[in-house]
Amino acid sequence: MPFFFVDPEIYRKYRDRVVAMSQSIQVNYPEHMPAERRQPGLSDEEIAKELGLDARTVSEIRCVAEREFYDVDEWEKAVEFKDRQCRGYADRGLSFTTKKYFDAKKAEKG
Amino acid sequence: MADAPTPAGTDSNIKEDLRAFALKSGALVMGVADAGAFTAAPEGKRPADYLPGAKSVVVMGGAQPRAADWQSPKYEHMEVSSTTDRIAALGNRVATHIERTYGYYALNVPQALDKGRQPFLSMSLAAELAGCGSASLAGPVLHSDYGFMYYSAVITTLPLAPDPQPETPACPAPQCVEMYDEIGKTPCMAVCPIEEDGCIGGTIENGRIASRRFDAARCTTRVQTYWVPGFQKAMEKLFEEDDRDRRRMILNSNLMTRTLWSMTYANISQGQCFECMRVCPVGAEKRQLR
Repeated sequence: MPFFFVDPEIYRKYRDRVVAMSQSIQVNYPEHMPAERRQPGLSDEEIAKELGLDARTVSEIRCVAEREFYDVDEWEKAVEFKDRQCRGYADRGLSFTTKKYFDAKKAEKG
Repeated sequence: MADAPTPAGTDSNIKEDLRAFALKSGALVMGVADAGAFTAAPEGKRPADYLPGAKSVVVMGGAQPRAADWQSPKYEHMEVSSTTDRIAALGNRVATHIERTYGYYALNVPQALDKGRQPFLSMSLAAELAGCGSASLAGPVLHSDYGFMYYSAVITTLPLAPDPQPETPACPAPQCVEMYDEIGKTPCMAVCPIEEDGCIGGTIENGRIASRRFDAARCTTRVQTYWVPGFQKAMEKLFEEDDRDRRRMILNSNLMTRTLWSMTYANISQGQCFECMRVCPVGAEKRQLR
């Protein structure tokens, strides 16, 4: 059986729609939310049905698109984020994170 | 749920035996879900898809980072110490106990990824259905006493009565509701706000989560920085680079090196970002020692 991967043209054509329909960005996903508010992403099989593709192709498009969603620069930002937050919390606790929001609220109230 | 007689006693005393066994083996909590209750999971990702005739899913929670881990100012420490190996081993012990003691099939759900980069079974859903906690704004299932935990799930043909789900979800905690009312954010939203290049957003109404947004793709860059996704990103850069010297710089870079260390010293999942959980008040008192 040959190595299966998606044709780049097919990928480019469907990438955005597959990502939008999947759970890559989850909006009101959790199971416990009220049914009228819950918008779980579609499974690969459901997306395939909607787009007229086969599930394997959708699955491959989604896997590639999820990895390509952010450039490698975002990995560098992740390291900076964790370092800043972890050291900040060790130094000043929760206020390291929340102070700016409380200060902004105070300023807003005048 | 069926209450079938078993070779070793009644349903309830088997469950209590399992609970005692799981806690003695290191679990903090144990609960049981009805194998037929996983209707929120897609077809092909439900207990009976993995074990035909499945009746129950036994869920164990534990293997949290220790109190000192949360106190360290060096985040790199938790990147390599918070893994699924302990909870996976616990699941194996319980599965073996069920098969040897009670004579029912028991499948320990792998912690790794199935095809399509999806979990074999949603541990979050299993934990919720087994009454071990509730979903949070940040994502992880939180237990009202212990907060963040790792979970393992054992799918079994042993019929057991399911445990009830908590009436009041652990998230949002009362202090989070108070903070949200004041500044429009909970601690997890403040530390990782989706509208400021973070992962978490949402609203609270009447003390409950009313809506939620979560950027799973960005969360991946933080939770799996030095792991398979990081390796793939570094490899992509490497292949694109024509200049030999620059290729060497990428090959021996920090991202590539730490990623390879992570991938080679463990074949287990590693959580590599805990900032939303670090500020979470649920179970926080257990993280405060002398």
